Amino acid sequence: MRVVLNIISASKIFAPKKIEDLGEKRIVPKMMLRRRLTRNAKIMLYLADKCNFHGGKIVYASAFGELQATVGITDAILNKTQISPTLFQNSVYNSSPSYFSLLNGDKDEIMTISSGMKSSYDALKTAALQAFISGEQVLCVATECLDIVNIQEVNSCSDYLEAGAGVVVEITQDEQDACEIEVLEKKGIIKSLHELMAVVEMSEKGKQKIFIEL
Amino acid sequence: MKSFINTYESLSCAGDTKELMNAIYAQKSAIEIDTSYMHQTPVGLGKMKKSDFYKHLEDVVYNVLQKSNLKNYNSTLLIVGSSVGGMVESEKHYFQDKNYTNIDPSRHVISTISEHLEKKFHFLDTRSLSTACTSSANALLLAKRLISVGAYENILVVGADALCYTTVCGFHALSVLSSKPCTPFENTREGMNVAEAIAALLVQNEKVEDSIELVGVGASSDAYHMTNPDPEATGAISSMQKALDDAGINSQNIDYVNAHGTGTVANDRVEGLAVEKLFDGVYVSSTKAITGHTLGASAALEAIISCEVIKQGKVPPQTALIQQENEHLNIPIDVIEKNISYVMSNSFAFGGNNTSLILSKVFQ
Repeated sequence: MRVVLNIISASKIFAPKKIEDLGEKRIVPKMMLRRRLTRNAKIMLYLADKCNFHGGKIVYASAFGELQATVGITDAILNKTQISPTLFQNSVYNSSPSYFSLLNGDKDEIMTISSGMKSSYDALKTAALQAFISGEQVLCVATECLDIVNIQEVNSCSDYLEAGAGVVVEITQDEQDACEIEVLEKKGIIKSLHELMAVVEMSEKGKQKIFIEL
Repeated sequence: MKSFINTYESLSCAGDTKELMNAIYAQKSAIEIDTSYMHQTPVGLGKMKKSDFYKHLEDVVYNVLQKSNLKNYNSTLLIVGSSVGGMVESEKHYFQDKNYTNIDPSRHVISTISEHLEKKFHFLDTRSLSTACTSSANALLLAKRLISVGAYENILVVGADALCYTTVCGFHALSVLSSKPCTPFENTREGMNVAEAIAALLVQNEKVEDSIELVGVGASSDAYHMTNPDPEATGAISSMQKALDDAGINSQNIDYVNAHGTGTVANDRVEGLAVEKLFDGVYVSSTKAITGHTLGASAALEAIISCEVIKQGKVPPQTALIQQENEHLNIPIDVIEKNISYVMSNSFAFGGNNTSLILSKVFQ
C-alpha cells in the first residue's frame, strides 16, 4: 500500500566526532535533566526543536541505540564496579524519545524502530502508518552516536560518529510533484540513516512530497 | 479489516505453550535461583532449559508455519520486538577479549533476530522494534494497524529476548530484583525476575477455525519519569482506555486482565491503581510469577497466554499470593472456570511507554 507523505519540516546534523552545539541549555533549561541526557537524546531533541515539533506521535529509529550507556554497563560488569542506575535506564533504545516526552509533557505514542541498516527507511514507513491511521502530524527522527572509545575496532561504515535526521510528516491525498526517495548525496553517513537523511536533502531542495510503501 | 491471531507458539523457562499453560494453572513457578550472574547474590531468573537461543528461535517460528495455512513465509511481513537483540554474543566477546575486535556489529543490534529469521525463512519484508519491555506489544499494535489498512495480509510477530548480564546486573543496580520467585501484587513482594523467552504469533486478515481476534490496541506515554511509573496511573489508564476505544467496547466487557505485574513495588502499585480506577471487579493476575519478566518478549508471550485463557475458559490464578497489597483488586488465587470473551493484556516499559492489547473470541 502506497501513500504520499507531505514533509512539513526537516533537519539534519552530523559531525566526524562529537557534534559541538546542540543548544542543550536552551532546549533543556533544567540542569539535572540535561545532565542525564544521552548523546542520542541531545541530537534528537535538537532535531525536534529544528523541526518545530513540540508534541504528538513520534517514530524514532536507531540501529545501534545507546552504545555509550551499553558500553558503560558492560565495562562496569567486566571491572566488577557498581553499575550506574542512570546508565541502565539510559541504555534502552527508546531513551531519546522518552526524554522528549518527559521534557515536553508529551503523552502520545512513541515507536522505536531498530531495523539495522534500514532503520530510517522502516521508521519512515511506520511514521506514514501512524500519520495515516491518526490523520495527525508525526515526528520521524533517527540518530546514531558511535563516538565511544576504541570504536575504530569495529567501525567500518561511517565517517561521522554522530549524526541524525528528522522530519515532521503528514499524509496528503495530493500526489502532484510527489517523488520516490532519492539516493543520499552526502557520502560517509551510516547507512541506517540514509533514507531519512535523503528525505531531508530533498526537502532542502524544495521536494516536499514523497511516496512511501506502508 | 480485522486482525486474527491464527497460530502461535512459545518457549520460555516454563517450556512450550502447552507446558506453560499447565504450569500457570498448576501455579508452578519455573523461576530458578541463580548465583552465576550476580556473584554471591542469589536472584530468581527464568532460564530456558537449553542454551541455543537461535536454534530455539528457528524452531518456534517453524512450528508456527507448520500449524498455519501458509506454505511458506514469502508473503508474510516479519515484525520482531526485542529489547536486547544480539547483546549476549557481544557480551561474550567483550568479556573474553576486553576489546571489540571480534564483535560483529550486525550481530549486536536488535535486528540480528529478524535478519537471522529472514535468512532461514525468506519473509516478504522485516521490521524490528525496541521499546524495552513493550517491544513486542508495539509489534502487535503495528501488526493490527497494518492489517486494518490493508497493507499486509499475513504478519508474523516475534517477541524474543535472551538472558544477558546487562539486563540482570542492570535491574540489580535499580534494586528491583527478587531473590526468590516473584510474587506480583503480594504485600511483601521483593521485586522482579529477569527471564528469557521466544514467542511468535501469526496475525492474518482472515480467520480460521480457532482464531482469536486482536480486537483493540492502545498506547501512551507517561511523560513522568524514565523508570518509575506515574503514581496517578494516568499513562496506564490511558493506554487501557485507548485499547477499549479501539475495540469498541467498555471496561465491563473485559473478563480478565493479564497484568504487566512484574512484582516490583512501583509497577504493581500503579497498575493495580489503574485497574481499580478503570474496572469494577475484573479478574486480574500476573503470569510473570510463573515465567518471570521476559522483557521485550513478554507482551508476545502474554498475548499467547491470553489466547489460551480465552480458548480454555480458565482465568489464571495469582501464584504465591498470600496477602495482596491492594484489597480492591479481584485477584483469583484458584483457577476460575468461566466463559471468557475478552482479555486485556498490559505492557509497560522504561521511558513511561505503555501499551495495552485486547484479545477476544471471534464473534460471527
